Amino acid sequence: MAVTDKMPELIGKSPLRVDVHGKVTGAAIYTDDIQFGKNLLYARVKRSPHPHALIKKIDTSKAEALPGVKVIVTGKDYPQRIGLYLKDKNIFATDRVRFVGEAVAGVAAVNEEIAEKACELIEVEYELLEPVFDSIYGASPDAPLIHPDMGDYEVANFIFPKPGTNISNHFKARKGDVDRAWKDCAAIVEKSFHIPQVQHVPIEPHIAIAKTDDNGRVTLWASSQSPFAQRNLIAKTLGISESDMRVIAPYVGGGFGCKAGVTMEAMPVAIALKAKGHPVKMRFTREEEFYTNFVRQGLKIKLKVGCDKDGNMLAMENTMYWDGGASTEYGVNITRAGGYSSTGPFDIPNVKTDSFCVYTNHPIGGAYRGFGMSELHTGIGQVMDELAEKIGMDKVEFLKRNSIQGGDINVTGMKMHPIGLQECIDKVAKGINWGVKEKASSDNKLRGKGIAISWKAPAMPPNAGSSAFIEMNEDGTATVNVGGQEIGQGAFTVAAQIAAATIGLPMEDIRIAGPLDTQYSPYEWQTVASRLTWSMGNAVRFAAADARRQILEMVAEAWDEDVDDLDIINGIVVSYRSEKEMSLKNIAVYGIPKEDDQGWIGGPVVGQGSFMPSYVTGLDPETGQGPRAVVHYTTGAQGFDIEIDKDTGKIEILKAVTAFDVGRALNPELVKAQMEGGMMQGISSAIFEEIILEEGVMQNPSFVDYRIATTVDVPRVMETYFVEVPQDDGPFGARGIGEHPMTPTIAALGNAIYDATGIRLEGPPFLPEKVYLAMKDAGILD
Amino acid sequence: MLYRRQARRYNTYKRKKTMLNPHPGLPEFTYVKLASLDEACGFLVEHAGEARLISGGTDLLVRMRDKAFKPAYVVDIKGLEGTDVLAFDPSSGLKIGAAVPMNRVVAHPDVQKHYPLLAQAAKSVASYQLRNRATIVGNICNASPAGDTLGACLLLGGRLNIYGKDGERFEDLVTFFKGPGKTSLQPGEIVTSINFPLPEKGATGTYLKLGRNKLSDLAIVGVTVYGFPDKMTESGFRIKVALASVAATPLMPPVVETVLSENEITEDTIQEAANASMDACFPIDDVRGSARYRKEMVRNLTRNAITEVWGQLQSRTENGLEANR
Repeated sequence: MAVTDKMPELIGKSPLRVDVHGKVTGAAIYTDDIQFGKNLLYARVKRSPHPHALIKKIDTSKAEALPGVKVIVTGKDYPQRIGLYLKDKNIFATDRVRFVGEAVAGVAAVNEEIAEKACELIEVEYELLEPVFDSIYGASPDAPLIHPDMGDYEVANFIFPKPGTNISNHFKARKGDVDRAWKDCAAIVEKSFHIPQVQHVPIEPHIAIAKTDDNGRVTLWASSQSPFAQRNLIAKTLGISESDMRVIAPYVGGGFGCKAGVTMEAMPVAIALKAKGHPVKMRFTREEEFYTNFVRQGLKIKLKVGCDKDGNMLAMENTMYWDGGASTEYGVNITRAGGYSSTGPFDIPNVKTDSFCVYTNHPIGGAYRGFGMSELHTGIGQVMDELAEKIGMDKVEFLKRNSIQGGDINVTGMKMHPIGLQECIDKVAKGINWGVKEKASSDNKLRGKGIAISWKAPAMPPNAGSSAFIEMNEDGTATVNVGGQEIGQGAFTVAAQIAAATIGLPMEDIRIAGPLDTQYSPYEWQTVASRLTWSMGNAVRFAAADARRQILEMVAEAWDEDVDDLDIINGIVVSYRSEKEMSLKNIAVYGIPKEDDQGWIGGPVVGQGSFMPSYVTGLDPETGQGPRAVVHYTTGAQGFDIEIDKDTGKIEILKAVTAFDVGRALNPELVKAQMEGGMMQGISSAIFEEIILEEGVMQNPSFVDYRIATTVDVPRVMETYFVEVPQDDGPFGARGIGEHPMTPTIAALGNAIYDATGIRLEGPPFLPEKVYLAMKDAGILD
Repeated sequence: MLYRRQARRYNTYKRKKTMLNPHPGLPEFTYVKLASLDEACGFLVEHAGEARLISGGTDLLVRMRDKAFKPAYVVDIKGLEGTDVLAFDPSSGLKIGAAVPMNRVVAHPDVQKHYPLLAQAAKSVASYQLRNRATIVGNICNASPAGDTLGACLLLGGRLNIYGKDGERFEDLVTFFKGPGKTSLQPGEIVTSINFPLPEKGATGTYLKLGRNKLSDLAIVGVTVYGFPDKMTESGFRIKVALASVAATPLMPPVVETVLSENEITEDTIQEAANASMDACFPIDDVRGSARYRKEMVRNLTRNAITEVWGQLQSRTENGLEANR
């Protein structure tokens, strides 16, 4: 499509967020703000207390007899399976429970108290089974099977389950000849790491309200990153036609991946199908959020890396055992992403990767900001640090020598597009004053610096699509309709900016249609994978160009001029030839009258655009090789200058620096916010967060003991840098940056701890206690 | 092999811990507001075992939501006579009513001037929002070993004013704590205020709290140190320590005080006192920290807190000498 090449003024500026006024004043509508009237029912869930058991019997008779109870559903009512990439989950457990907290029955009643009471009255008889709590054990032939029927499950064609085991996906990459390469290595480092499960902890817990009308049509209101994926998955599973299911998604109070795909939203729909005419509201408590929401999967990673005497990387062997939890419907693709990105942004000629997605009786692993990448890079970033040291090379020089560059062939055989990773490394190294050993602020502190690099590609099906349409209004403004969600990242603002810049309107003349509503909004796959600015941005850009073309053709006809001589500037159509001007007011809807009342030209302007990558190819299941595994990679670096208190083991971050190649920063303030926010979430997961699981039971299911970073934990100094090597198919050259800033954080901090103390911890969180006792045991403390 | 270890572990698997109710909610209860202490006391006696007092409610309501407490009656002490008093008397000291929220205590000029240690400790509790409701007396009656203000209240000589069916009585805080959540209160008794004598001349103190992050955490370990010049001791000073989160009740190891009274205070004696402090405590492993780490932290923080207080005492003494010249 012809889109003008000139760079409009609005691109690279930071206009005010379009959602800021509503959110700051409290006027913005979130799902729980919507009123449903007196027919509303409240849903509660009966949950499994066992990590692994067979359901022998469910007796709901006492609960049904309780006045106020309207509907009770169990797995018997809905035996069909649901899932994004692998259909391995039941809405309510059917014959077996697989994690503590799994839904066994759903109740709708006239109020939450009665629904809760009814849950207590439901009697479930279990037969306990041996559980699996370790991914390596789970992958072994000795482990009891968690999904004996895995062979029957429907699965996407790029996922490779191993029926008869607990391995629901095995991604293999084979490049070069690793075994031969070890002989040529002058230095080899082997290390294992364990990254525990963490959770998203959105401030707004999950909430969904479903209603079935008399015709059997279903409406779902949900705090959702993925209204279209939810419509598709829930409708298919429950035998509803997609067009008979409508999902309305107001603003989201924090997503980070946990409101992608379908997590709990199918439950209220399943209940509402049996309570026609009643809206059924299911609102999670914080405890429910902690116990039952998707988590970032745990990972056990074994790495072996080697380089020659000059510090050139020769080989990597990477074995990953992902703790996928009770269902891996989403997780299988996380482990695939971990596989095709398994070298990190390094140019390595010989690679052997095995990425195993393993069922365990732990909470379900799902999408979490930058999925797979924080975990993977925690290992890679730290072994590279040690390899550089072992071969006696400056660590930054080692990173620069071995980082992947445009034109290199990566681990899956894809030729890398141009990237600015080298510049990112330089900026971070300079930012933390790399190479200068600086003194600690006092005798009881140890100071250290660490740096790490990372990459991430949007992890999605090859054909994840976006669409947009733009309606011009009578007053000359444009309403932009998108299906991507505003989850705080600024997607609506950037969509408005792209539309304004492309049509030739001022920012304040753009309206974003909302809330998202699958009945009116154009299709968008999901708001995940840092793909909106790039993919939805393209759709908006095409829609805006289409609207612009329609306007210019109409005016050209009215003025009898050539379209190429016309332009739209600040909502005014101008001719560079005749110097005529005409405001968009009225004409974009009513058209332009011909002279002497001889009829009309034009009509309501509606621009439409869609975008879908068409070039992503499959990979060979045995070697993981193929021409193009992903759409693109966003790459970058991060560094920390820290002090460790010898008395307590506490880490204080003196300075945090990050640089990413964003292609083009369409809105620098928003990019900066993503980079700072992402880095902060990375820091939180690096030094505070862990779901402590004992025999499948979370031991810290509250904010008292699941600590997250707060404002006061933000480093004293944060610096963010953009590098801009344009993306060939991104709007104005942009690529995504939403998730990436947290992906190198754990490794960079781990490297800084190592620099300060010589201690390498097995994994995060780098709690004061772990750091202190490790220093103590290493004899560092007096 | 990892999985063998896992399998072995499973052989002894007994489900010790279960999921808490994921849908917690307040149980049904009756809120009771009475006109006088006398009536409140009578009500508590009449409903012994099924009534609980509420002041700020920051602990009570959370525990009720978790069903740890299921009182049929919640009796509000706010508004009862004397519970709202926050007063300093230059001749007798400080009185803090049971319903006075911590933020009021922290902001009070006389508290800041004469009892800065108490203000510091109170300010470390939870968050500003919580401190708008939470009270010092509530913190005390809650009797959590982790209570942040308990150390300061103990070291400053806190004395409780307790109202019961036989009238008023006083109890020194040092005898009040009997175990986690357990106190010497008898059925029907209500703590109406805590009272502090005037601070010792030249006194200073500090509270070092080790939390997991910087704001609103519980203490993994808390060390309160309070010191003042004392001509009766060998060292010329008396320095006392109170420890939080390392035993069933707040600990005040006397051995620390002894070491610092009977010896000249030097880096070595401070270290000796710190070691004694570590040896005196008996923490447990829990989700917030291991016993081993807690012991180490008691030693290090005691050393740091004493060093800080000792530094202040010395500089005050020197400044005092300057002024006398």
